[in-house]
Amino acid sequence: MDPTISVSKGCFVYKNGATRAGKKAASKRKRPAAESISLLGKEVVQQPFYEEYRKAWNQINDHIADLQHRSYARTLEQLVDFVVGQAERATPDEVLPTAALLTGINQPDHLSQFTALTQRLHAQRAAMVCVLQSRDCATLKAAVESLVFGLIEDDAEVEQMEDEDEDEDGAERDRKRLRRSQCTMKQLKSWYTNNFDSEQKRRQLVVILPDFECFNASVLQDLILILSAHCGSLPFVLVLGVATAMTAVHGTLPYHVSNKIRLRVFQTQAAPTGLNEVLDKVLLSPKYAFHLSGKTFKFLTHIFLYYDFSIHGFIQGFKYCLMEHFFGGNAYALCTDYSKALGRIKQLTHDDMETIRRLPSFRPYVEQINDCKRIIAVLTDDDYLKKKLPQLLRDCLLHFLLFRCSLEFLTELVGDLPRCPLGKLRRELYVNCLNRAVISTPEYKECQQMLSFLSKDEFVAKVNRALERTEHFLVEEIAPLELGEACTAVLRPKLEAIRLAVDEVVKATMATVTRTSPNETRQATDHLTPVASRQELKDQLLQRSKEDKMRHQLNTPTTQFARALQKTLQLIETEIVQDNLRALQDAPPIHELFVFSDIATVRRNIIGAPRAALHTALNNPHFYMQCKCCELQDQSLLVGTLPDLSVVYKLHLECGRMINLFDWLQAFRSVVSGSDNEEVAQEQIDPQIQARFTRAVAELQFLGYIKMSKRKTDHATRLTW
Amino acid sequence: MEAICSSLEPLFPCREAAIETLGELIGDSSEAYPSAIYLFGHSGTGKTALTRAFLKECGKRQNVRTAHLNAIECYTTKIMLEILLDSLVPEQGDALKVDNMLDFVEQLRRQAAPRVEDQGFLIAVDNAERLRDMDANVLPVLLRLQELTNLNLCVILLSQLPFEKFYNKTGLSEVICLHLAQYNKAETQRILGSDFEQVRNQLLEQFAQDKKRLEICQEAVTEDFYNNYLNLFLSVFYKACRDVPELQLTARKCLSIYLEPVLDGTVDATDISRLWRHIAGPLRSALTQIYMRIEKPAEEAEDFTAIEDQSVRKLAQSLELPYYAKFLLIAAFLASHNAANQDKRLFVKHHGKQRKRMQTVNARAKTTEKMSTTLGPKSFSIDRLLAIFYAILEEKVGLTCNLLSQISTLVHLKLLSFVSGEQNIMEGSARLQCTIGLEFVLQIGKVVGFNVRQYLCDFM
Repeated sequence: MDPTISVSKGCFVYKNGATRAGKKAASKRKRPAAESISLLGKEVVQQPFYEEYRKAWNQINDHIADLQHRSYARTLEQLVDFVVGQAERATPDEVLPTAALLTGINQPDHLSQFTALTQRLHAQRAAMVCVLQSRDCATLKAAVESLVFGLIEDDAEVEQMEDEDEDEDGAERDRKRLRRSQCTMKQLKSWYTNNFDSEQKRRQLVVILPDFECFNASVLQDLILILSAHCGSLPFVLVLGVATAMTAVHGTLPYHVSNKIRLRVFQTQAAPTGLNEVLDKVLLSPKYAFHLSGKTFKFLTHIFLYYDFSIHGFIQGFKYCLMEHFFGGNAYALCTDYSKALGRIKQLTHDDMETIRRLPSFRPYVEQINDCKRIIAVLTDDDYLKKKLPQLLRDCLLHFLLFRCSLEFLTELVGDLPRCPLGKLRRELYVNCLNRAVISTPEYKECQQMLSFLSKDEFVAKVNRALERTEHFLVEEIAPLELGEACTAVLRPKLEAIRLAVDEVVKATMATVTRTSPNETRQATDHLTPVASRQELKDQLLQRSKEDKMRHQLNTPTTQFARALQKTLQLIETEIVQDNLRALQDAPPIHELFVFSDIATVRRNIIGAPRAALHTALNNPHFYMQCKCCELQDQSLLVGTLPDLSVVYKLHLECGRMINLFDWLQAFRSVVSGSDNEEVAQEQIDPQIQARFTRAVAELQFLGYIKMSKRKTDHATRLTW
Repeated sequence: MEAICSSLEPLFPCREAAIETLGELIGDSSEAYPSAIYLFGHSGTGKTALTRAFLKECGKRQNVRTAHLNAIECYTTKIMLEILLDSLVPEQGDALKVDNMLDFVEQLRRQAAPRVEDQGFLIAVDNAERLRDMDANVLPVLLRLQELTNLNLCVILLSQLPFEKFYNKTGLSEVICLHLAQYNKAETQRILGSDFEQVRNQLLEQFAQDKKRLEICQEAVTEDFYNNYLNLFLSVFYKACRDVPELQLTARKCLSIYLEPVLDGTVDATDISRLWRHIAGPLRSALTQIYMRIEKPAEEAEDFTAIEDQSVRKLAQSLELPYYAKFLLIAAFLASHNAANQDKRLFVKHHGKQRKRMQTVNARAKTTEKMSTTLGPKSFSIDRLLAIFYAILEEKVGLTCNLLSQISTLVHLKLLSFVSGEQNIMEGSARLQCTIGLEFVLQIGKVVGFNVRQYLCDFM
């Protein structure tokens, strides 16, 4: 610190003209910071698991970004065309060209779309862009100022990007900082005439309102009127991000405003479709070794579909799972491509091997070995296990590939059945298949029944489609992978068998196969036994009809076609579903290395439950404080050693809507002092206890549980129920 | 003066009288101007266009300094004064700075005085009704600006309101009022028909490639044909809309549909009744979206008849909300349209028997006026919203941040709105209101399989 000559203590500003330099230095400082990527120390960053994690995340993230970029592309292209197109057409008197982009309800998600739009427009050098947030536009004055400021600053930024250092001074002079109050339409006009008036440099001025609904209606109306009034001299284009529907626009803008704009509607992809795309193409891609278990998968999609429609949120949730998985230890570094994993095996330490041994699915593996020596070797000898690991890893990886292919088959097969018992989309089927053995579920039976009801043409076409799609999937997605050939080798014969069976179905006729079951003859001769009452007769008939039905169901199909069909279905069931679409608990050993299933942690960490957390904290302080004094046998117990706030809280839970303060105080005192005989209650209350009580009540009020009542003296109102 | 009027009259048919009056008042800059003119009339009657053209002519022919500004833009007085001064005495350039009214009058006087003796100044202020909300001295000073500056200056105020609406406690000096009445049907038709040549040329240009159509077009599109079309068009639209620019726009849009069968050769150009049968439907559907200005890209133009009859059903289905948000919305609707004392009866399983008394029966015999669905939404607290939400939702969900943030999302989307206490949500005294209608909520209920009607007191 520089010494100062001053008698008083204080904070001194030294003017050294460092603002600009400071900015530079900051940007320089930022760069190395970006290189060292993480807050974690070197010892973590260099661990194999961390490397694998980073690789996996980067891969997936890039993939998602690429996918989203492509799905935005069409709308963006149209939008850019629209904006650029406005330049050519002579605007008729005072009509503001406007594009309404129907974005869907999650507005924060869509900011990225608008950034992409801005970048594109900049890249084409077609327009100046200002993104006007509703929070900047509380009043018309603020709105116009931030609009003008945004447009002029945007220009400065672009210029800066173009000629980084060339004429620093020139840029400096141009950019003598604008004061907010100077930003008026007049200023904008003169700026525009100075910079862009010549024909070839003419650029559109794009104003983007990303959250149309949040704008104050009157401000927005005035803003549009102003913009349209200047349309003749300044080529404005307005872009509205509409979250709900076009009626919102028409509801907000009265006739005299809406006839000043020319509206073009652009539709973006709906959020659920976007999510499905991400799930199908990225999360369910066979490319990645990391998988989510059925429950976790469902949990994340559940948050999306039931709560917020935020793809970004979903991706962050997924990232959290990924982190949680890999941070389990170095053993999880094996969760990668096969050849890489082989390399990793050598690096594993004894502890890592122990982690593997402790995996739940390792136990069945050990149990199925029937050689005593080998069991001991597996359990104690690290080197032996390391030798075994490649085979295990291979089995596991192969299993997931087969699972994925078979999923493709099954999706095509049952996806469009009426009422979709197993689910319509790939993700639903994935969850269903992974959660439990799908064969034994009633939904699967229902599917099978429905399939058998199909007509010949339909059935054949359906199975053929499924085969084709699986084949296609094998060629497109699986073949380029490392274990692709192995997977294809396993699956091809099965598909071939099914194809043959289908051919049988095609050839089969409707001719009945005459094979009388012995039952039928029995039934003919079967007489009703003599009965004593109506009731008995009724029962007997009922029984009979039930038996009939049973027999009918069990009966082998009578026509040739039905038999061939049944055979095909049987084949599909054994070859595809039973073999490959196994539930997670039947998956090969050490699958835990590839599948993340710790849903409890994720739930606890990514879903905030403030009310529940507060309740736990107050009801059972031991949970958070871990102190000896507050240990409770039963949660509802009231002990004097608890913190005052906790005691007061627990007492208030017993009350109704209104709480009498005096009674509350008495109860408090009896709990805290630990004695509740009558004489004590009569005497004067210890001021210390009263003070503690008052303070605890104030704290409870601060937390928002109670409010002092105005209607009834000395009463508090409960605000929770 | 005559020159100005005669040059404007062809541009503004049916406004001869107004132009003449204006010309008499401010047509000659060598004569003294009136201090202020108030020009009023509905939107689309040509106030702004007429004034603008008039000022331009004046500026051109008599070297009058003119300023035209829009009062909406002037959110501070300073901006208005600077714009005014800049356009009246533009010599100053960038250094121009006006802080208040006094300064403005002073500067205007100083800079304008040494100029030619009979220099005229004209100021037109659009949307003059906004002047009332500005600083208290703005309107009085503008009306007496001539007197204050001692210049030959006239202020023209344009507004949709009659001048009586401007009176305030301190009173205003007299102005000359000039009313631009709405065009009647014949006048409207005359105005719309005046751009016949332009329309015809446009059509011919459009079909320049297609020989056959070009020929038909040349033959069929005559002045009579166009007038017939406008007659039919106005018979539908004149009752709903008298805004001439709007009518002009829509008329041009619909003309191509009207022309279609003629071009195809299916209907003769003179067979008006068949053409009418053909056009009636599209016209009616165009009527529903007049003023909306939705523009279709070229490839979608053909389904013009079917566009966007944004019925509530379609809207509710197109609005994508997360599952719980839908239930929250339904819960909000129920909370808004049921009395709080009915909640127990509606949402609790064993709510006990209700005793019927004549009084209650009478009270509950609802007439439509008393139906709460027609009375509009009542406010409710967040607690009640959540309680109803949990009652109507079959599954159990935790009260998590994600759920609570849905409420604010709905507020953002303007499906709910705060009635009071927006600042103290934490305290629990904030009250919300549901802003959607019954139709809409019924549709949402249908999507999630929940019968909303069953839970509305009105329908019990």
